[in-house]
Amino acid sequence: MTRNAEAALLVGAAAVAAFGVALVNLARGDGLDAQVALTFVVMVAAFGGFHLAIRQWSPEASPYLLPLAAILTAIGFVEVYRLDRGLAALQRWWLLIAAVLAVSLLLAMRRTGLAPLRRYRYVFLLSGLLLLLLPLLPTDWALPLRGFEQNGSRLWIRFEAGPLRLQFQPGEIAKLVLATFLASYLSERQAILGVQLRPLGRYRLPEMRQLAPVMIAWAASFVVLIYQRDLGASLLLFALFIAMLYAATGRVVYLTSGGFLFGAGALAAWFSFSHVQRRVSAWLDPFADFEDTGYQIAQSLFAFGSGSLSGSGLGLGAPDRIPNAATDFIFAAIGEELGLAGSVAVIATYALLVAVGFGISLRSRDTFRKLLAGGLAFVLGLQSFLIIGGVMRLLPLTGITLPFMSYGGSSLVANFLLLALLARISHEERA
Amino acid sequence: MNQPVRRLAAVLLVAFAVLVLDVTYLQVIAGPDYRDDERNPRVIASRTGKERGLILSADEQVLAESIADPNDPQRFSRVYPEAELYAHLVGFSSLSFGEDGLERVFAGDLRSKRDLTVSDLLSALLGGDLRPKSIQLTVNHGLQQVASAALGRQRGSVVAIRPDTGEILAMVSSPSFDPNLLLGADALATRRVLLADPSEPLANRSTNRTYPPGSTFKVIVTAAAIESGTAGPETLLPDPLELELPGTIEVIRNFDRNTCGDGIEVSLQTAFRRSCNTIFGELGLQLGAEALTIEAEAFGFNQDTPFELPVLNSFFPQSSEFSNDLPALAQSAIGQRDVQATPFAMALVAAAVANDGIMMEPRLVSRIFDAEGAVLSENEPSLLQRAVSPSTADIISGLMERVVVSGTGTRATVPNVRVAGKTGTAETGVGPPHVWFIGFAPVEQPTIALAVLVESGGEAGENATGGSVAAPIAQEILAYWVLKNG
Repeated sequence: MTRNAEAALLVGAAAVAAFGVALVNLARGDGLDAQVALTFVVMVAAFGGFHLAIRQWSPEASPYLLPLAAILTAIGFVEVYRLDRGLAALQRWWLLIAAVLAVSLLLAMRRTGLAPLRRYRYVFLLSGLLLLLLPLLPTDWALPLRGFEQNGSRLWIRFEAGPLRLQFQPGEIAKLVLATFLASYLSERQAILGVQLRPLGRYRLPEMRQLAPVMIAWAASFVVLIYQRDLGASLLLFALFIAMLYAATGRVVYLTSGGFLFGAGALAAWFSFSHVQRRVSAWLDPFADFEDTGYQIAQSLFAFGSGSLSGSGLGLGAPDRIPNAATDFIFAAIGEELGLAGSVAVIATYALLVAVGFGISLRSRDTFRKLLAGGLAFVLGLQSFLIIGGVMRLLPLTGITLPFMSYGGSSLVANFLLLALLARISHEERA
Repeated sequence: MNQPVRRLAAVLLVAFAVLVLDVTYLQVIAGPDYRDDERNPRVIASRTGKERGLILSADEQVLAESIADPNDPQRFSRVYPEAELYAHLVGFSSLSFGEDGLERVFAGDLRSKRDLTVSDLLSALLGGDLRPKSIQLTVNHGLQQVASAALGRQRGSVVAIRPDTGEILAMVSSPSFDPNLLLGADALATRRVLLADPSEPLANRSTNRTYPPGSTFKVIVTAAAIESGTAGPETLLPDPLELELPGTIEVIRNFDRNTCGDGIEVSLQTAFRRSCNTIFGELGLQLGAEALTIEAEAFGFNQDTPFELPVLNSFFPQSSEFSNDLPALAQSAIGQRDVQATPFAMALVAAAVANDGIMMEPRLVSRIFDAEGAVLSENEPSLLQRAVSPSTADIISGLMERVVVSGTGTRATVPNVRVAGKTGTAETGVGPPHVWFIGFAPVEQPTIALAVLVESGGEAGENATGGSVAAPIAQEILAYWVLKNG
């Protein structure tokens, strides 16, 4: 596929967004207005700018990344617009900001490539941990940067200066930063971590220093879990650590010990936090406490059921009945209005995007790039799987965003940066 | 190092495949259940303002209709012109409380299909009709009005059936409520008041409340006696002042605390006419538990009766329960103790006797028709079960006629019409008795069978009997119907 084909697909995605907005307007009886053109222009600007930056600074990058992300962004944006026009207007700004940041990242890497990411790994480790801890800043101190709590989880920081008020989930960026650190660290240590095993009867036990990184990962995620009380973010982080350790060493023991530690952590969380217990019981039987804890997931199931095969059509369903439809539950809104056709298309698109990411990893000859691409693809795939499975009641609900589709600046920025990294990795491997 | 990366990729792709399977299950297989769940806000919203079909009485009185909003012809409001009179039959379709009664049972026909789902649009393309269908009841509006007026403000029920077809001619439960008030702005407050009302206006006493049938149950005991050859109308039975219950110091007495006849012997015919408890208690003991249970079940007790509305089963204990409790058997034979029947079930008993022993399947809806008035389906009469042989039915019919001519039921007499009936006065242990009358007319070619029940003696209170309170109500209903239909 050529760059020109990629450009054409991006324009197509922008057109999908614009047509979607037009359909929502018509369904609401509002007629066509500036929103349609504005959406088209912003989509073209964001993805067009990204595309041009790739042409300029990473010309050998995989041409599949942007079109897949663009169609997901387009569908997500239309559904956000359908649910809340105010949020959609903000989302357009976030889209532009995310594109500008992704372009800046490509620009910054144009000469040095990924080398600095690899070299300054402890800077990344520190900044990653710092980002994770930022939401624990006091809510009421003098500095304009404060942490705060939402829905029982403390994942947010808020920047307030005069009339300006910005909210951000630093954990979204922390994932990328920590993945970078791990790729760099593991690409150097993999030989040591992988081979030395001490026999113990039939089993072979890894050395203490081999297990140390796992324990650190577990401790870090557990800190996130305890202080921020968010199972989703901590699971995502922990799984990323374990998956990258496994990718670097091929040792299944990391997976089993990781699984065991996660089970223990989840059990402890269940015993300690009432909101975790509520989520588990709402998962087991949402209709047992329909009016309260089960309400949200039940509304999500109603939305999927009402969507059926072909959906109600954009703007014609009632996804606004689901609390948090524009963020965590965006996939349920899509299931209702676009039906099985739409929801399967979205899942398939995620699968393709994740496959492209893993493809980049598999084709990489350099260990660092291989691990980084694999880690990024894994975290993108796992996050999508967890939240889609959560809103469908396949898994207990975890409050995380659906990449590219949910409303939310932090999520959009983080995932655009993730795309830029994948693009750069694929460029360097081919160039 | 590619091996583990490939495995991670495989695990995630399998996870996505699971998502596809699960979303398919959720939207297509389990989907309809979630879509139609009563708690789904879309279900509730889709019903408001949509047109629904008509509900008509047999004589084409409008019982429920949708009236278009003058400002928005696409929006309709539901109206029940007869308000309280049909509340328990027609039910309601309310945004706040969902659907009830026939509005619920026939919702699939009555609702408009015009809600833009793809399958409905497809069926429209194939020539399907998306407009709501209408239903017509077997109930006669004139008779329903007469029955309701005759019952008045007393708590109770009237069920009238056409014996040879099973058509419900009238079904009244009192007190009632105005379903229109459950649709409007004060729906919540209205419902709260109705739920708190100790007279239970929301309950359908005709089909969903059971009462001890009292002496009306003697019809079934008599049927058992005749069918088994134990006794006929002329059979003479011993006539004690009181019946001592085996193994106890308790006794069964007659209503007037006197002997039934001359104190020596009395015929079954006289005992039936005068509704003597002593004689029927003893007869029950003679017949035995098994014969009574079999006969009660032949008349529909302990069985699910097919009907458009939900029905509570009437109850007669299994014969094994009497093996160590003969006093209970004697008391059950006079319709007391654990015997329980709905007015609906006792009307079916009367109808079976009137129809040569054959119980027809009761039904409330006669036909469903489309928006053009074309009949889509017609509910043909069908046989439910044989209760007794034609000759037994004929003998019981004669016995019941004597009850009205010169027995406890004389106040059901309609001039120049042969009326058959049986009264009942069921002790409740607390408060005044529940009083009954079941019967049919005209005896030679019955066109109506009915059951009247008045709870707790009605306005007569402690002094009420089936003959004094329930029989006059039956008289008004039978007179109206026979005069109208000849």
